[in-house]
Amino acid sequence: MRSSVSYILSHAPGESVMSHPDYGQHAQHHACLLVLVKGIGGMLKNFNKLWERIQKVNNIKVTDSSGQVRDIWVRYVRDYPVENNDWGDFQTHRRLLGLITLSKFTNQIELNEVCRVHESLKVKYSNTLYDSRAFMFGPISKKPEQEPETYSVFEDDKTSKENSSLGEKFSLPSDQADSLSSAESYPHSASSSTSLPVQEENFTTPSNFKTHAMFYSENDPVPDLEQNVADLINSLFWVVESKRLERSREKIEKVSLLLAPFEKKDFVGLDMESRNNKKRCMGRVTKNLADLTLQSGLIADSLNLYHNAAEILKSVNDWLWLAAAKEGLCAASAILLYPNLRNPTPLQRNASLQESSPNKTKSLSLFQPNIDPFRKYKLTSSPLRSSKTSSPVNPPSELTPSSSESLETSSRQSETDNADTESLASSSDIEYQSQKSFYMSDHPSIPRQPSQINNQYLLNGEEIAEKYRKAIIHYSKYQNAGIIETEACFKAARIAVEQNNSLHASSFLQNVIFINLTLSEQEKIQRFDTLAELYKEIGFLRKAAFCQRLAATRQVSPNNPNPDWQRCYYLMLHSFPGHRLSLDPNYVIQHQVGWPALQIQLLQEIVVAARRMGHPALATRHMTFLLQTMWPHLSRQEHRDLAIQLQALSAQCEGGPVPLVLETGEVIPPANLTHVPRCTSFLPRPPPAPRAPHPLNAKPNQGPFIFTPIHFGSLERKANKDEGKMEYLWVEDDICEVQMKLTNPLPFELKVSNMRLLTSGVVFESIPETIILPPDSPTTVNLHGTPKEVGELQILGYSTHTLGVKSNCRLKNMPTPNKFLPSYTIEVIPSLPTITIETIVAPSGSVSLSSLENVGSTTNITLYNGESTECSMKITNTSNVPIEYLDIAIQSNMDNLLQSKVFQFSNEDIQAQLPISPNATATVNMKLYGEADFLDLGGVGGENLFPNSLTSNYPSRVGSPVPNVQSSLPTQSSNAQTSLSSGLIPNRTSGSFRSTNSHTTSWSAPISVMPPSRGRQVETQVIIRYSGGTGKEVHCRQSTLQINLELLPSVSITHWDVLPAEIPSQLYLVLDVTNLTSEEMDFHYTPTKHILIESKESCRVPVPLDRCPFNATTKTNEDNSQDTIECKSIGTGSSMSGLEAMCSEHVTQHVDLQWHLLHSDVRGRASVKGITLSQTMMDIVRMSPLNWEVSVNNQCIKPQEEFSCSAGECLSLGVGVWNHLRRPLRHLCLSVQFYQDYNNGVHSYKLDNRLATAGNNKVVLPSLPESAKAYHECTVVFLTPGEYKIDIQCSTTEPVLEDTSVLRDTDQQSSIQPCAGEVSHIWRFIPPVAISVTD
Amino acid sequence: MAVCVAVIGKDNSPLYIGGVGNDTSTDNELSRQWLVHTALDALEERLATSNSNTTNSNTNNTRTDLRDLYLGLLYSTDTHKIYGYVTNTRIKLVLVTSSTSPSGSNIRDAEVRTALRRLHALYADAICNPFHLPGDQITSSKFDKQVKNLMLNNV
Repeated sequence: MRSSVSYILSHAPGESVMSHPDYGQHAQHHACLLVLVKGIGGMLKNFNKLWERIQKVNNIKVTDSSGQVRDIWVRYVRDYPVENNDWGDFQTHRRLLGLITLSKFTNQIELNEVCRVHESLKVKYSNTLYDSRAFMFGPISKKPEQEPETYSVFEDDKTSKENSSLGEKFSLPSDQADSLSSAESYPHSASSSTSLPVQEENFTTPSNFKTHAMFYSENDPVPDLEQNVADLINSLFWVVESKRLERSREKIEKVSLLLAPFEKKDFVGLDMESRNNKKRCMGRVTKNLADLTLQSGLIADSLNLYHNAAEILKSVNDWLWLAAAKEGLCAASAILLYPNLRNPTPLQRNASLQESSPNKTKSLSLFQPNIDPFRKYKLTSSPLRSSKTSSPVNPPSELTPSSSESLETSSRQSETDNADTESLASSSDIEYQSQKSFYMSDHPSIPRQPSQINNQYLLNGEEIAEKYRKAIIHYSKYQNAGIIETEACFKAARIAVEQNNSLHASSFLQNVIFINLTLSEQEKIQRFDTLAELYKEIGFLRKAAFCQRLAATRQVSPNNPNPDWQRCYYLMLHSFPGHRLSLDPNYVIQHQVGWPALQIQLLQEIVVAARRMGHPALATRHMTFLLQTMWPHLSRQEHRDLAIQLQALSAQCEGGPVPLVLETGEVIPPANLTHVPRCTSFLPRPPPAPRAPHPLNAKPNQGPFIFTPIHFGSLERKANKDEGKMEYLWVEDDICEVQMKLTNPLPFELKVSNMRLLTSGVVFESIPETIILPPDSPTTVNLHGTPKEVGELQILGYSTHTLGVKSNCRLKNMPTPNKFLPSYTIEVIPSLPTITIETIVAPSGSVSLSSLENVGSTTNITLYNGESTECSMKITNTSNVPIEYLDIAIQSNMDNLLQSKVFQFSNEDIQAQLPISPNATATVNMKLYGEADFLDLGGVGGENLFPNSLTSNYPSRVGSPVPNVQSSLPTQSSNAQTSLSSGLIPNRTSGSFRSTNSHTTSWSAPISVMPPSRGRQVETQVIIRYSGGTGKEVHCRQSTLQINLELLPSVSITHWDVLPAEIPSQLYLVLDVTNLTSEEMDFHYTPTKHILIESKESCRVPVPLDRCPFNATTKTNEDNSQDTIECKSIGTGSSMSGLEAMCSEHVTQHVDLQWHLLHSDVRGRASVKGITLSQTMMDIVRMSPLNWEVSVNNQCIKPQEEFSCSAGECLSLGVGVWNHLRRPLRHLCLSVQFYQDYNNGVHSYKLDNRLATAGNNKVVLPSLPESAKAYHECTVVFLTPGEYKIDIQCSTTEPVLEDTSVLRDTDQQSSIQPCAGEVSHIWRFIPPVAISVTD
Repeated sequence: MAVCVAVIGKDNSPLYIGGVGNDTSTDNELSRQWLVHTALDALEERLATSNSNTTNSNTNNTRTDLRDLYLGLLYSTDTHKIYGYVTNTRIKLVLVTSSTSPSGSNIRDAEVRTALRRLHALYADAICNPFHLPGDQITSSKFDKQVKNLMLNNV
């Protein structure tokens, strides 16, 4: 775009170069009147508010002398360099026309000063200033005296400056004069004075102060501010209008040459009268007139003029002015095409202000009660660039007027020369008009669409860009016009933005860079700033960022005399979007867009800027951000360097996880270091086993199947299973733990302090942790904390404090390589008590084991079989919650029955001690008994029925002629009452209830019985479930106390047998007792008798016993009902007959065996529980159903008693039998047999030659009724001396019927088929009667 | 002469930036990145407009939719000129020439065009590598060598 012929006509720089570019200029400003608004004197506190209000009066409508409504636009500036004023001839909109001062004074001196400053300002811009207003805010609301307002000043100015136009001025048309006078006489001062209270003190303005001055008190809302400003504009317009008319009436031939400031020297010595020069003058004047026309609101006219001027200037190669003419043409076209350009203030803001300021609404309601059209407009207003799709240049015809008023206006404008009645009326009613016009100025300008829109010179969008391009090229030929060119570029760019043509805009903006200007550093920065802004508007964010960064570096470049780090910082900060950086580190990490190398550079620079700016917190924040977001793009060395830098920065100000708010209101979100240290795993831990809560009522499992391939859609458990929801529970007020694995990625040792857990939900007290991480080695860290409430606890992450930066590392924001759940949810239940258990085993040397926290507490107890001891558990409540529920259960590898015998405790006793208040202690006593089976079966097999009975070597059947025990059917009579296992077949296949477990061959099967000969280790867990507090209904804690019980063998009964005693009602139980201990044992087998057994020795002891009463039902039921039932329950399906059980019980009960280890003073008991008895043994054990009464020579014989007689003596043997059964016995065969016992197991029944008997030795009793007695007598003579024995027995030939069958038998006699000759049961008189015969 | 060549992915992430210069200091590298990075705006805009143009006019020339891959001069600074080229898969190739050096001041458009075409071919060769993941940075040393060669000799 640059002209290749640069600097054709330019001079050396230095003189009157316009050196203050105005980057904010828009094309539409060509049509604006420039007004300076200045605050002077003391600072007004509502200055900005007033400034905004003034700014809104940027457009008024004035009806001109011909009745045409002119649309006048104003541009207000706060500051304007006088040098730029010099370019006013070149482009008239650069002239400062009006002055408004807002001042504050408190006394006369200040007032004088304020007036002086105002006047001096007027002098400063005296070249161009037409009118001024002074708003003065005094201490009290009163109006100082002022000389009557005149236009003398104005006229003085005019006369001094433009004496040539003086005559013209007064030759204004009369109607214009009228309107002028009407404007003059506009009673603004009067109205303001009336609105003011009565003055109390007189302030007087100095005499040389000749300005419209309005006085208010400081807090006056200044209701007529807009009115006064509008008034000023009105007056300015008339001056401009007069100038325009004046210019338009000049004689073309006589015009003087207008010059740009730097051109003055160029024309020295040139022939001003040349034809060329004449044309040049003409062209320039035309251009000037066009400017004025444009300013005075006649845009359409200006188009023609600009075009004409351009034509003329082109012919004389006056490039500079040609360019200006083209620019003007472009500006005028743009104004017509893009009316939206003229509404720079955002509409929304207007609306909000209107609602907020009361006086505003009031005045609006006064004059314009219906504001709906405005609202509607606001809604429907569519700036061209709001929609990308719309073509850049709308055809003008599409711009429909939005209100009737605009139609009116346009119609009026179309009929320029037609002064109809309405326009006349409006001109006469100018006061109203001007008032109204001001209010209309509030409204967005109606898209003005004069009928001349079809003006042939109107440029369309493309042409505007093209013309502007040409103008810029022309400008570029003049070095001194650099500023003009720059401004033109910006203006063109703005139009291009409006046209939505980014490429054009960017090319215009790009051109700005090439313009070589000697600018102050500040202006250069401003240039970049403006560039950045425009680039942003067209969406060139990267470009904008680039410019911003350049501006930022300029701010602090060494050339800059006063570096401003703060602005540098903000510029850098605002260039973030262009670098695809967000202030939020998480966003950056997630999206990873942009160019890392540039981002790193920018971030490093911004860190420096923040530090130099004196905001160490920001520096730390940005450095953290850099380290966090750019971590993957940095090398190891850079990691190290940056980390060290961060440490240095944070030494000045610690970084925290709180957003930082800048002075501009921007918020810098926290940056958290999640890479340092790097977390590779994060998992909440369930509470340790003793503290883990258990549901009080364990729910039954879902089913017996661990795995099922069947899925029930809606019943699917996984479906509603919340991910991240932990299955275990945490307990309120209890320490909880999260395990994490951390790695230090930096090559030096890293100290991470104050590590805590981040949670939400219930209150959680985290315990800070400090660790030192060595480089590059994963370390496991446990973080602890205590929940303080009941409910759901979410663990969101953890916080660290490292490198001087506090970070909140949330799991959801963790860097990608490690996938974490966004949060872990754990349910916290009400606090539960905790206990400690102290176990004291009382007698055996008091093994005291204090078990703190119940972890792995084991009590070892050694017991001999049969020994009993006490174990007391002291349960101490160590929490603040009372224990209200306590339940002790025992779990061991024994079966329940045995277990309940080994461990005995009273549940009532425990419950009585509840509740256990905090720090109180409860004691649970538990009795331990070395329960064992003392009968040693010695690896018994099933076949041998009575392996331990002493059949082989015990004379239990002394003199018994029964040849075969197995084949000889029992002569046992059955007792209906004793039947316990009714209906069971009496075929015993197993000797004892032990066999019930014989099928459980696995060694891990519960121990039911201790084999007496071996020691057994019993591992027992005492499970103490306890609870308390509010959650006691649902959850409890469980403590486990391990008791290792070692049961040592004490005694064992290896064999046993029964012997009849001397008295028929008694018997001897003969036991082979083995001492299995290593000590000498004192074995008590009756209360009075005891025997010493050496270690490992065996002894045979007789235990006298009463015979089992024949009718023992009651006793059995009363005493041993428990046992019986248990026996039954264990021996399910066992074929143990009730009868044998009864006998066995009888024996067990009445045998009281006690042992005492002499050395270690240990006492214990033994029992013969579970003893098995054979059929024959049972006959001995049991009372006979038949009661014998045997007498010799009418002398009753006692058991074991020996009767002596001499050979040949006649003995009369009487045998009486009572039937004790409750039924009659039939077919009884009572027999008396003599035999000789050789005491070697051989009985000799062949005694034919040794004795002789008289009388029957065998009688058959057909029937023996119950309780009846049968008596039989016979006589015997012993022929040779010797030892004889008499076997007296009674047998029945009835079939073997026991128990129920017998019962049934008795009921149904007929059904019994007596089977003669068959011996079914034999009762003997025991012991046999022994007779020693002597010579 | 060409001073820098950049390959930019369709998400505007840098795939390759290679430059020749007097020094290979990081400063130089950074300034090249700035140059290329700021060119992306213009490049994208141009792409968008050319696309909308084709969509507007695709009724009559759907068959000849082959837009020119070469985008021409993107922008220029005092010292550099930046040219753009976009492949059909939206891979952007950017070539930066130095306008200060004697040979680079009056470089012809056609030269740049051919250079970029050759670069396109080189790029296509480079990503033919079955071990190259599209979207990853190009680390091929052969590509680097060829590109450097191209910059020195061709333009």
